[in-house]
Amino acid sequence: MASSASVLEDSSLLSKLDRGLEPIERFMALISGLAIFSLMFLAAWSVGGRKFFGAPLMGYVDYIEAAMPLIAIMGISWVQRDGTHIRMDILVGNLKGRVLWLFELISVLLILVLMVALVWGAWAHFDRSFDCARPLCSRDSSIDIGLPTWPSKLVVPVAFGVLCLRLVIQAIGYGRAFVLNLEAPVAVPLNLSVEEQARLEAQQLAGHD
Amino acid sequence: MEPIEIGIWVSSGMLVMVVLGMRVAFAAGLAGFVGLVWLRWNQFDYDPDRLWKAIEISVKVAGQVPHSKVSAQALSLIPTFILIGYMAYYANLTKALFDAAKKWIAWVPGGLAVSTVFATAGFAAVSGASVATAAVFSRIAIPEMLKIGYNKQFAAGVVAAGGTLASLIPPSAILVIYAIIVEQDVGMLLLAGFIPGAFSAIVYGILIISIAVVFKSVGPPVGGFSWGDRFKSLVPAMPIVAVVVIIIFFVYNPFGDAWGTPTEGGAVGAFIVFLMALYRGMRWSELKSALLETAKLTIMIFTIIWGVLIYVRFLGFAELPAAFSAWITSLEMSPMLILVCILLAYALLGMFMDAIGMLLLTLPVVYPAVMALNGGEFVSAADSTFGMSGTMCAVWFGILVVKMAEFCLITPPIGLNCFVVAGVRDDLSVQDVFKGVTPFFVADAITIGLLVAFPMIVLWLPMLATG
Amino acid sequence: TEWNVSLWGKRRAFTEHVEKLAELVSEKTGGEFTINLAYGETLSKNRENLDGISIGAFEMAQFCAGYHPDKNRLITVLELPFLGVENLEQEVAVSHAVYDHPAVQDEMAQWNAKLLMTSPMPQYNLVGTGEPRDELSEFEGMRVRATGGLGKAFEAVGGVPTSVTASEAYQAMESGVVDTVAFAQHAHLSFGTINQATWWTSNLNPGTVNCPVVVNIDAYESLSDEHREALDSSVDEAIAYYLENYGELLQRWDSVLEEKNVQKVVISDAELDAFRAKAAAPARDAWIESITAQGLPGQELYDLVMTTLDKAKMTN
Ligand code: NA
Ligand code: NA
Repeated sequence: MASSASVLEDSSLLSKLDRGLEPIERFMALISGLAIFSLMFLAAWSVGGRKFFGAPLMGYVDYIEAAMPLIAIMGISWVQRDGTHIRMDILVGNLKGRVLWLFELISVLLILVLMVALVWGAWAHFDRSFDCARPLCSRDSSIDIGLPTWPSKLVVPVAFGVLCLRLVIQAIGYGRAFVLNLEAPVAVPLNLSVEEQARLEAQQLAGHD
Repeated sequence: MEPIEIGIWVSSGMLVMVVLGMRVAFAAGLAGFVGLVWLRWNQFDYDPDRLWKAIEISVKVAGQVPHSKVSAQALSLIPTFILIGYMAYYANLTKALFDAAKKWIAWVPGGLAVSTVFATAGFAAVSGASVATAAVFSRIAIPEMLKIGYNKQFAAGVVAAGGTLASLIPPSAILVIYAIIVEQDVGMLLLAGFIPGAFSAIVYGILIISIAVVFKSVGPPVGGFSWGDRFKSLVPAMPIVAVVVIIIFFVYNPFGDAWGTPTEGGAVGAFIVFLMALYRGMRWSELKSALLETAKLTIMIFTIIWGVLIYVRFLGFAELPAAFSAWITSLEMSPMLILVCILLAYALLGMFMDAIGMLLLTLPVVYPAVMALNGGEFVSAADSTFGMSGTMCAVWFGILVVKMAEFCLITPPIGLNCFVVAGVRDDLSVQDVFKGVTPFFVADAITIGLLVAFPMIVLWLPMLATG
Repeated sequence: TEWNVSLWGKRRAFTEHVEKLAELVSEKTGGEFTINLAYGETLSKNRENLDGISIGAFEMAQFCAGYHPDKNRLITVLELPFLGVENLEQEVAVSHAVYDHPAVQDEMAQWNAKLLMTSPMPQYNLVGTGEPRDELSEFEGMRVRATGGLGKAFEAVGGVPTSVTASEAYQAMESGVVDTVAFAQHAHLSFGTINQATWWTSNLNPGTVNCPVVVNIDAYESLSDEHREALDSSVDEAIAYYLENYGELLQRWDSVLEEKNVQKVVISDAELDAFRAKAAAPARDAWIESITAQGLPGQELYDLVMTTLDKAKMTN
């Protein structure tokens, strides 16, 4: 289950940046969600067409493959914002104050190093498939119906780029908490205990049964 | 330096990062990326002028992985299975299932607890995730059990344990992930989970009845339902049956050709549950929050997948999996003992780690070793160590590992299901739930022992399907 | 020097020339130049082997033109339906003639790739479930696993090309996602589709798929003269070994059919002519037009294939 921590807010510039980025991230996550939703209809169309009309959806596999980066990657930054990406918190769960913020800061900076590298690498992957001197700008196409692959490859560096912005905000948040020895810093996911997390999850599901 | 040494250093570094609390997906990705740079620079004899070249190549190799690896049709099953679970909730299917189970089986000793187990097993057939099942049933089943005087801890334990069934009984996100890491047929693994899942439920049921017979106070039978009541209770639960039938028939149709691929089956199942939820009056705001929650969980899982696969790509260049399996097969121990040790290691690791992260991190190295132990990927049943073909060994080991991972959801200190149950119920502490779930350790240990001793429980259905 | 080769699947007839090449090169250089074969997509997904070559992730790789026509527009000429190639020797001759064309080399050089040799495959014939389809009219609505030019050919006679990758073909056939699968013989064996089949078309011979082995240009040029010579001089021998090995497989094929109880379907000449008329010329004209429109020598390459094929037919 996704477990979301809470992110505190105040009137500081950092918090404003955090809140400014959040709607963009949530919109991107909603695109992921809608792409998942569309899988259902695509399959219903494909199976229905094949079983009842003898006319399967041409390129079904190609469409799904093209949609997967939207589904799997587009909303990644939103997931990072509230600390949903899983980790082993047996150690950090017992840390407090400056030591905790230092650990978090180092961890976020390491992720930032990785993501900057991946923005570059994913962009290069996109760039190899993109050449506007050619029809549809396509230098790489899918196996079945020859769909250009560059749009789906472009999703990755874009989503990762937004994640880099998010990581910079979090790094500043943790860095500030470390320097000023804050107790409850803004713009970073607060480290909840497992019990608190479980209670939050339960609340998400509350009231529907 | 030998590539294998680099492999060992980098893998250790990754474990340190994970233990220090770095998000698993990124720890694995970073380790893989650093490893790729190191390997390549090593190849360049650490020539300082060529460090940048080594970095450039590694960045491009690693940067390919996220898009390349998530763009697989088979992986589209994961979001679909998660979406089904969320929508089944909005379609009111959980309550209907519990009600039907109560009317049909609550007359036995420990009746409501047994009903709970079978209702969770039924919900498992539409839900791909264990923790969600535990959360939902805490709210429905525990109050009813408490009303007729159940021991509070025991009632909580039943729900926590019942929740774990969701990952064996198809659809199961974790079985799909296993199938994809080890490159085996997804449909076959889903099919293989069915009987062990039902088997686990039956073992739980027998355990509860035995306890109820010995300790009369634990769970009195609940009777007084007419046959009319019973059949009427089935109607609202029918969509579940429809989804189960669809998913199974898409994977394996005993009467002829399967209806399609598992991917299509999952999506059509989700479509039916969606129509049901619409009929029950699901609003756009509810749909939107279901989609956002599904997206969140999906992206979390996929981030681990591509992160770990960057690490795995590095392992491929470092040739580490081959070295590890050579070491395992050279051990002077009986293969069965080695297998049991591997399973115990999973139990230990699972006490501290999330199931998906645990599988993704370990399988690239452990799986080839287990296959080698059995005699290789293409070994025939007759020539093998465990008496099953390579493919069947992959299926059997997958079910064992997933059952271990599920077992870890109810073991202290980080049994997530127990935390969820305690989180839903204000009157229960985590210690209460752990106390109540203890008998189910015994049940799970028995189940795992039987699955190891009698592989046919796992393999009968997939063997039937492949002929 | 140590090279890595990115391959997919397991070792099979389709990869034997690479195995042989590695063996010969190591022999000739006294073990100084080793070539490691990495099967099972451990180094890259098969559809991204050209990307890996372009990055420099590995030095050698195999891929098929139909996986990504836009990456390799020119060599898809070799996948046009009904070219009339009759055997593997002819397939080698036309492939290598096309590989030697400057425009083709130029296109591959954009991926930092040099075409080393082909992986010649026999004509892709169908295996199918249910009643044998031996008339053109029975191809109407047939779901067939066929990629690239072949897919187009079946589409021209009312078939429905459905793309599943080679490794999913068995499952697709079993589940009825496709009725028929077009493969070369070794792949029908290797991917198990023959076990699902009740019939096989022995003489449909609609065309084949072209799968070159390429090397990274930088890696190739940085080889010592001696090592490069060892590599270059081993190509012909590796191909000869491949042909011999594949020939044995083809000889075994009839007994495999018998053993698996698969009916051998022979299609009449009239039906074949009708298929060719509908599929061959339109596909060829469309290909030439599209390539020429992109400022590339489409007609010239097609003519090259035809003249080379005529020459090859005269010599054997
Ligand atoms: Na399930
Ligand atoms: Na645990």
